[in-house]
Amino acid sequence: MIQVNALSKVYPVPKRGEGLWGSLRSIFSREVEEVRAVADLSFSIQAGERVGFLGPNGAGKTTTLKMLSGLLVPTSGDRVVAGFDPSKRDPAFLRRITLVMGQKQQLLWDLPPIETFALNRALFGLEEAEAKRTQEELIELLELGPLLTRPVRNLSLGERMKCELAAALLHRPDVLFLDEPTIGLDVRAQVAVRRFIAEWNERSGATVLLTSHYMADIAALCPRVIVIAGGALRYDGPLKDLAERYGGGRKVIVRTRDEAPEQLGPFVREDGALVARLPSAEVTAAVDFALRQVAVADLSIEEPPLEDVLSKLFAERT
Amino acid sequence: MSLGVAVAALTRASLLTTMRYRASFVGEAVMAVAWAAWTAAPLFVVFDQAPTLAGWTAEEALAVIGFFIIAQGALEALVDPNLRAVVEQVRQGTFDFVLLKPLDAQLYVSLHRTEPIKLVHCLVGLAIVAHSARAIDAGAVELASAALLMLAGLTLLHSLWTVVVSSAFFFVKVDNLSWLIRAGLDAGRWPVSLYRGVVRFVLTFVLPIGLVTTYPALALRGELKPSTGLGALVISVLFGMLARVAWIRSLRRYSSASS
Repeated sequence: MIQVNALSKVYPVPKRGEGLWGSLRSIFSREVEEVRAVADLSFSIQAGERVGFLGPNGAGKTTTLKMLSGLLVPTSGDRVVAGFDPSKRDPAFLRRITLVMGQKQQLLWDLPPIETFALNRALFGLEEAEAKRTQEELIELLELGPLLTRPVRNLSLGERMKCELAAALLHRPDVLFLDEPTIGLDVRAQVAVRRFIAEWNERSGATVLLTSHYMADIAALCPRVIVIAGGALRYDGPLKDLAERYGGGRKVIVRTRDEAPEQLGPFVREDGALVARLPSAEVTAAVDFALRQVAVADLSIEEPPLEDVLSKLFAERT
Repeated sequence: MSLGVAVAALTRASLLTTMRYRASFVGEAVMAVAWAAWTAAPLFVVFDQAPTLAGWTAEEALAVIGFFIIAQGALEALVDPNLRAVVEQVRQGTFDFVLLKPLDAQLYVSLHRTEPIKLVHCLVGLAIVAHSARAIDAGAVELASAALLMLAGLTLLHSLWTVVVSSAFFFVKVDNLSWLIRAGLDAGRWPVSLYRGVVRFVLTFVLPIGLVTTYPALALRGELKPSTGLGALVISVLFGMLARVAWIRSLRRYSSASS
């Protein structure tokens, strides 16, 4: 559904001098700096997949999503989305994709959301009966009923985001680009949005490419993740393997009835308990070993926090 | 047809947005008449001193004012609100959503924010033109060619506006440019033949405001040579094409505000 091959984007950014004198000077001699937002990025996504697109701020996530949705022209490389070259902005292409941006909104600010829905139905040239059915479905799934007739400016951030999602999906696109759809939302609204995305993906079979800084979003929604940093690909594969490879393994904690020894096989004593960090494959053997060697009062196995895994990955050399 | 549906929906949304201000038709009409009187006032001062000015009588020059008011009304109702909205969208990056719609973006931004109530100014302008046409006894041919030239003039204004919007993709803040066009249009309240040298050249060919106000008035007087009329039409079509090219080029340059 999405094919990206050696995609790069370089932005020319004017360099400004410091202070008043510097500003004056830059009026006359404009220095332009080239900023490489995306470098040689390649990946492909199958129809119906839910993929998390991760990276630190400024990694090039939004730039990539914009190139995939036809808003930005890449400096080099190619991409095919739903069988189209996005740069051409073919109306048939635009009917098959959608882009939701957590930090920007398309809802008409002074009017109730239902008016944006009506406008979008017309702009996408949707068949009225079918579009109304989709609209009803979205209203029900997102529980928008009471919000529909209130002006957008009177809605809360979470309510607005739910309406944004509905407005962006009325034309039942095959590809959903979701750029931080949960940003700034409270926990309840985050969960609601998350549930909705999963449900919609199940129902419509749409492909989802999602960026988020909330790891709970990614853990709940994306079996596969693509990680970029400094515009370049760092990891592309199953989410669970990411933790395995970069998380320093799972943490086995054994509390003993008697005082724990300083060291025991793979375990060392930390805060009075025996602790070992191991790859998944070695966990069973370690647990077995501990049970045989000491009187175990309590035993737990922890996954490394995704945040830690990612910050380790982001910090690696380019 | 789906294009018609899209245009109707955009117009509806922009009407609804305007209506939240509870704009009063009566209030706007009073304003329009007062504004028209204020605009025409200098004319009476001048014609009080001399019966004709560069070959124009007071009644004829009033037609120029009438066309000027029509153009200004169209600018305030249809062009200016759209311009302000686009500049804001480009600055904030929400112009992305315009480009994500399967409708021609130029058509979209020409329609998505209008203030139809301001069209009352156009009605006042039309009344002034009608009064002037009666006074100079214009026939059907004159009226028809004046109407045609007025449409050409309005098309031209729209093209100029499109060029301004296109430049927004390069410079981001272009409100100043729109003021330049307004200042140019302001010069159009007098017949272009009153101006000399460079100014006249600019008002005829570079920023052809004369085409918007003076030419339709000339047509009303029956003094527009067919060749000049045809030339005016060609210019407005050329500006339309130029605007389209500028628009398409600037879209390629568009790099939306970073997330």
